Amino acid sequence: MQLHLDGSTVINAPQSKVYALLTDPNFIAKTLPDAEDVHVLDAQSLEARMKLRVAVVSSALKVKMSISKTAPGSKATLVAEGTGSGSAMKITSVFDLAGGSSTTMGWSADAEITGVMAGLGSSLLKGFATKKVAEIFEGITKAIEEAA
Amino acid sequence: METLFQSSVDEVDRLVGLGEEEKVLLQDADAAAAELLVSEFEKYVERKYNPEIAGVLRRHNLMGVPIATKYGGRGARQLAEALFLERMGQTGMGVITLADVHMCLGSLAVQDWGSEEQKDRYLPAAAKGDVLFAYGLTEPEAGSDPGSLKTSYAREGAGFRLTGSKYLISNGSIATNMIVFARPQGDSKGVTAFLVDTKREGFSVDMRLEEKIGLFTSDTSLVSLDGAFVPKEDVLGEEGKGLSVAYSALLNGRIGIASGCLGVMEDCLNQVRERTTSRVQHGKEIARHQLIQKHVAFIESSLEACRWLVYRAALKKDEFGGSPRDVSLRSEADRLSAVAKYMSSRCAFESADRAVQCFGGFGYSIMSPVAKHFLDSRVARIYEGTDEIMELKIASSVLGKQFEAYR
Repeated sequence: MQLHLDGSTVINAPQSKVYALLTDPNFIAKTLPDAEDVHVLDAQSLEARMKLRVAVVSSALKVKMSISKTAPGSKATLVAEGTGSGSAMKITSVFDLAGGSSTTMGWSADAEITGVMAGLGSSLLKGFATKKVAEIFEGITKAIEEAA
Repeated sequence: METLFQSSVDEVDRLVGLGEEEKVLLQDADAAAAELLVSEFEKYVERKYNPEIAGVLRRHNLMGVPIATKYGGRGARQLAEALFLERMGQTGMGVITLADVHMCLGSLAVQDWGSEEQKDRYLPAAAKGDVLFAYGLTEPEAGSDPGSLKTSYAREGAGFRLTGSKYLISNGSIATNMIVFARPQGDSKGVTAFLVDTKREGFSVDMRLEEKIGLFTSDTSLVSLDGAFVPKEDVLGEEGKGLSVAYSALLNGRIGIASGCLGVMEDCLNQVRERTTSRVQHGKEIARHQLIQKHVAFIESSLEACRWLVYRAALKKDEFGGSPRDVSLRSEADRLSAVAKYMSSRCAFESADRAVQCFGGFGYSIMSPVAKHFLDSRVARIYEGTDEIMELKIASSVLGKQFEAYR
């Protein structure tokens, strides 16, 4: 099953700072919600055990994330691949930054989900994913603004 | 805005012809349905009432859809109301139950039977969602035969005291006002409808019924009236003519339930299409297997057939609304609403069953969206007139009044 989400958020920090933090696995490691056993592997990647909760049911996925600087200073791609609890997912997120003293971060995420989780259907998964993504970006924005 | 619904508002417009305000109504319905999807599923899995339903409907100005604009509602004709509930039905029968009871059984009963003073007092607040209606007809000993209800009233001063129990009442513990049907104390005839303020002393919620097959997100309660006082200004319709109020409300309600069932079928179809075209077994998508296609064909045919029944009943009800004294129009609207409810509720349940089958093992898990419809739609064959009562109504409408089997 494939899902697409996109949106944008404004971060009160200079673009250069936002870009530097977004592409830093150590920083990403600190902002991930519901993550355990987070290990930074190298300058571009990290892995973590992530809990995904749908109502009273939660699943745990072992996720590896790789960050690439698609256009240094303005564009980055984060690929997250994970398996666990009978499900597998691959999410490719693209971040596009623009601005000066504050930064507008446009983002898009394309996800491919198989296994048990796919049985929820795209409309429900999209609903849950939208909620989760909002939570993730809230965390990232707050962390960047605090660090800047 | 992206919608959940397969038919766009423009497509529906081409089919039935919508006014601008009706198009906006359906867009608002799509937005509300999208907003409710996650909380509905979460609460269903937790087997809990969903407290977000009324709030979301309020935010999208969807609590007074059939209420006339002069009372602050959206003034939707019955067909537009049906189309609105069809779209909301994709979120499941929990949302439909709250909306149907509040609007079709509650608000429309006040609009059709209330005095001008009652309409001014209740309808603007109902349209805003400040008043939430429940409908208290069913009792532990009176279901399909409302004429046998035991709740009684006695005159006292400037009003009445009501005593009795009402069972399986949707919105029962969350309503601000309940239409309660009662008969005079010591008299077996002359049922009267009362608008009861649920904050009145003597009104209590005895039990929230959570041990149900489905419909967990909808509030279902057992309430008691222990000498609850109702001022005479809150008699709805004429004293002694309460069953006419009850039956006309049920006519509206049945179209509402049938409309919600269309949404259930639509969502089953969408879910089945997505699942069967992506699930691979024996080296190909299961949608390529002919026996799966048989299920798809059933759901699609049921949906299209039932749409005609529901829209036809709604159009007849609109026609009756224009000539409320025309007894034959009323009887025709009553017959068509029974046909629409009977077929749509059965087809929704069978569509959900077939969707579960298409989902295979995952469909059997309550975590699947089609299992939710399977559990939630079962009640549609029971409440607001069981399958069997609908069959008797439909048969007697063909055979003649002298063949009414329940007399």
